[in-house]
Amino acid sequence: MARLESEVSHEVECIRRVQRGEGEAFGPLVERYQQRIFSIVFHLVRRRDEVEDLAQEVFFKAFRAIRSYNFQSSFATWLSRIAVNHCYDYLRKVRASRLSYYSEMTEESARELERKVEGSPPQGLDHGERITLRDFVSRLLARAPEDDRVILTLKELEDFSVEEIAELLRLKSSTVKVRLHRARKRMLEDLERWRQEGK
Amino acid sequence: MDCNEIRDLVSELWGGDLPAAAREHLSRCAACERFWRDARLAQAGFRAWAEEAVPEPSLGFASRLVRRLLEWERTGARSEFFETVGRRFVYATLALTLALLLSLVLPTSGPVRGVAGADFLGLQSSTQLSQPDVIGGDLSDPHDMIPGRVPD
Repeated sequence: MARLESEVSHEVECIRRVQRGEGEAFGPLVERYQQRIFSIVFHLVRRRDEVEDLAQEVFFKAFRAIRSYNFQSSFATWLSRIAVNHCYDYLRKVRASRLSYYSEMTEESARELERKVEGSPPQGLDHGERITLRDFVSRLLARAPEDDRVILTLKELEDFSVEEIAELLRLKSSTVKVRLHRARKRMLEDLERWRQEGK
Repeated sequence: MDCNEIRDLVSELWGGDLPAAAREHLSRCAACERFWRDARLAQAGFRAWAEEAVPEPSLGFASRLVRRLLEWERTGARSEFFETVGRRFVYATLALTLALLLSLVLPTSGPVRGVAGADFLGLQSSTQLSQPDVIGGDLSDPHDMIPGRVPD
């Protein structure tokens, strides 16, 4: 508990120093949150080769905007919000290329996946099966509208609670619940449509 | 329960147990049963993906980044400032030029200032010359008030 408090006060001190113009104090903040930002960026954009560059851009934006940080939300939330917004912009830019991911998925491979999940509990899957499943969801997400993709990623991959997502996206918890529910439904209906198109 | 309600329920519960009525619907509706199986597939896919290792920052990521930020602060921020100021100066000049142009053009084209502008340039038309001034003119003949009417 005492350790946590000292970490928080150290963080606050670093933020205040950066706000006063001591850029070096940004280093410990990067060290502390780089893993979190890498995770958000990776799960949202799905491209390993782009993660570091995008994370760097996120920290750059945060550095430039740090004077506007007013301690109302936690620094982690504030920084995550910048990461989500940055990835959102990135996803909108690369929208044109995303369809190709989905078109690579054949009906046969979808059936194969279904058989695998039907028969065994997911934790009993081998490495190859996990990769296939991950690929399947990854393609489904790539096809989803950006808003759905962001909210599904934060919930299903980043494991944020509804309340955390609400704070991050500046929404009400009830709105997040509804959006989450609709995003899942849309994603599954999209899969259904894709399957019918393939027939 | 209809199909839409079932789909709402599957998306809402997301892996939770479905009520008996919903299970009964699934047993006789192939499309909804498929929807439910797809949901299970997606849940398994999300789990598998969440377990995947996130790429690690390369060695010295933080220190390299801070070095770049400090470098940017020294040079980039300053040039960015001048760039912003310069851009604003250009916009202001353009706005001023536009305002000047408008002030020259407007008197010759507007309906209100048309006469004044034409007057200024000595270009008043014969029709305008033949028209009495509505405000200061003789109002004894009501026809004179009809715009564009040439007096007899």
